[in-house]
Amino acid sequence: MVYLRYTISRLVAALPVLVAVTLFSFLAIKLVPGDPVRIMMRDRVSDEQVAAIYAKLGMDRPLVVQYLSFVGKAATGDLGQSIIQNQPVSALVTERIAPTLTLLAVGTIFSILIALPIGIIAAARPDTFFDQVVRVVCILGFAMPHFWVGLLLMLAFGVQLRLLPISGWGASFGDHLVHMILPGLTIALFLGPVLIRTLRASMLEVLATDQIEVARARGLPAWRILGKHALRNALIPTLTVLAVNISWLVSGAVVIESVFALPGLGSLLIQAVSFRDYPLIQGLSVVLAVTTVGINLIADLSYALVDRRVLRD
Amino acid sequence: MNSRNKLLGAFTALASIVSGLLFAGQATSADLHRGGTLTMGRPDEPLTLDPFIPSDNGSIFAIAQVCEPLILADKTGMGLEPGLASSWTISPDGLTYVFALRDGVVFSDGKPVTAEDVVFSLTKQMDPSASFGFAFEPVKAIEKTDDKHVTITLKTPYVPILSALSLYAASIVQKAAYEASPEAFGLKPVCTGPFTVQAYDRGSQLVLAANPKYWAKGEDGKPLPYLGKVVMKYMPDGNARVLGLKNGDLDVALQLPLSQAASVKATAGLALEEAPSYALDYIYLNHAKKPIDDKRIRLALNYATNHDALMKAVYFGFGEVPNSFTPKVNYWSANVKAIPYDPDKAAALVKEANYDGTPIELIVSSGNSSHRQTASILQAAWQKAGLKVNIVQYEGATASAMVRKGEYQARVGLISSDINDSDEIATLQTEFAGSTHAFFSWYKNDEVTALLNQARGELDTTKRAAFYEKVQGIVYNDGYNVPLNFVPFINGYKTKIENWQNIAVGWWWLKTTRIP
Repeated sequence: MVYLRYTISRLVAALPVLVAVTLFSFLAIKLVPGDPVRIMMRDRVSDEQVAAIYAKLGMDRPLVVQYLSFVGKAATGDLGQSIIQNQPVSALVTERIAPTLTLLAVGTIFSILIALPIGIIAAARPDTFFDQVVRVVCILGFAMPHFWVGLLLMLAFGVQLRLLPISGWGASFGDHLVHMILPGLTIALFLGPVLIRTLRASMLEVLATDQIEVARARGLPAWRILGKHALRNALIPTLTVLAVNISWLVSGAVVIESVFALPGLGSLLIQAVSFRDYPLIQGLSVVLAVTTVGINLIADLSYALVDRRVLRD
Repeated sequence: MNSRNKLLGAFTALASIVSGLLFAGQATSADLHRGGTLTMGRPDEPLTLDPFIPSDNGSIFAIAQVCEPLILADKTGMGLEPGLASSWTISPDGLTYVFALRDGVVFSDGKPVTAEDVVFSLTKQMDPSASFGFAFEPVKAIEKTDDKHVTITLKTPYVPILSALSLYAASIVQKAAYEASPEAFGLKPVCTGPFTVQAYDRGSQLVLAANPKYWAKGEDGKPLPYLGKVVMKYMPDGNARVLGLKNGDLDVALQLPLSQAASVKATAGLALEEAPSYALDYIYLNHAKKPIDDKRIRLALNYATNHDALMKAVYFGFGEVPNSFTPKVNYWSANVKAIPYDPDKAAALVKEANYDGTPIELIVSSGNSSHRQTASILQAAWQKAGLKVNIVQYEGATASAMVRKGEYQARVGLISSDINDSDEIATLQTEFAGSTHAFFSWYKNDEVTALLNQARGELDTTKRAAFYEKVQGIVYNDGYNVPLNFVPFINGYKTKIENWQNIAVGWWWLKTTRIP
């Protein structure tokens, strides 16, 4: 019951975020020069023809009317019609959401799998050779641009070793997962270091507290101190960092999807913006905003699982 | 017993000799290696397969494999051949064209192609909101004459109508299927082309299957194409396409990054294709802005440009130094002399024009590294001639919007012709009164406009060629723009593929391609 109330309060807090995102993307894209019809016709079109086409699409109405009409329809699930592809935006989104969600999931899982053991060990043995190496590698990890890392991985595993596919999404479910290995690894090589450093820092903090002294004095085994007591407390800041970065990843997916030619929402967004396909851009910003809000909600709920004190407010 | 065997033996021998002689000239299906899948890596993907929605090359090149117009671009892309129209007649005054529809052609669903379908399709194309409405501007009426004939009447003589009718946009579609649902048609067209759409995975790939009902026959008398399937993979990253070709995933990699072309050529089992195109890379110049409004400055820009150095540095030697303001389409003339690299002459012209130091802003689309390289080279060359040049970067569509409004002086860009008749592109680039103001150059030359008007109606090809040669000389030597390269198509493919061809109008001749 208390979880339900928490969830609802979080959802209510998310509404103004959604409004702000859609309003901003609606206005921002209209301010950018260029429009879809002239781009498609490569400018070999007269002003009258363009005006006629836009009148047909209802794009000559005042901006406020267009925005409210969009919001009204979006509430019922109608995200509009793509100008360039002449298909409903919701259909295009449904077609392409799977690769993006899978990429986020695989990337996050890889990051956690890398970060947890390394972070814990580094915190357990601070200032040793292992710890120093980990810290240096982490800095390298987030300094390198991820599209470059992606290309290097492609070259190494895809071409030299011929172990993994270098682009595309694959046909069957198993195939999809194989195609996600390199993109997921690219994400993990950035996100992993972030998590390692956060986890290590918060664990060191917790390990220095009185509670841990007491536990040690009671003669509890080291692994139990680390695993149960220290880790549980260190997880909250780490989860926060993870949640913030996954939201960032939703936009980072755009670059990864481009490099690995993944047919997800990120590459669709790039296409939509290059062509100024306004309905598609708006529809996608709603979907991406909802995804980000959803991820943050999951993060908030998982705090509650780790530390029930959070539920009290 | 013995004699009977001998007779049998002789008879068998004779029979095999005779049948051998009979079938000697005819290839069997087994020899022709029918079937197989051709996998292509493309830099862009189809956004829609509807021929009547304005669209980009990603869509156009795919539509051209599935839908066909009355007249087809031929195997080189530079000529025309009968398509769904098997023949046509032109009235002596050049105003009436009667097309005879080819017998026995059916759509991919088996229904026959009728004159109503033809009239419907062509009329749809004349709608101003359709992509190439302007190419059909001189058309007065399109009518069904009888079940097998369609007549097109023109307002004025317009020889390029035949090329216009070979546009993908003039494809003949099945009226019933299109009217039932244009949206569904855009996903799976019902047309007459050599291939049909088997799967359309947006963002990923387009899979085409051979159309068993296609009207053109192969060497064995069975319908073309020889291929069983074509998979067009969407791979926007150039490096990924090269990697895909090298590790065997792709049979063909389109638009190779020029820096990697030599390495592909040197790889065993791979070949490099350099095919002529209808594209021209050039520097757009705005004749309405200072100092570009002065012809001497414009010519100085041309004289100051070291084309050979540019070719080597930016294009890795691929292409041809242009002698024209417009792409190398059918009426291009080799007789116009190219402006030579002469930095002294350039400096003299700048002095003669009393250049007052107004800087020239050269716009480059951000993210386009070869354009940026071109701009840097030109900036250095033009500054040596005494001009002040600044390079500015804008996102592609933003830069186009600025150019369209005339808010620019110079921009690195290109232009390409969609049809194999010089009229479309020459008119577009020089017609000040047109909606694009001479393709954003604000160039005005009444003599050129008059020459092109005459050329458009001239039925004699030699006389027509003379008009275009004259126009080429005048406009090029007016310093209309700074042409940089007649860029070819640079693709990589496996040497075992037979009859692979990228044609000049942009798409690929896949009908006779074979994979042994």
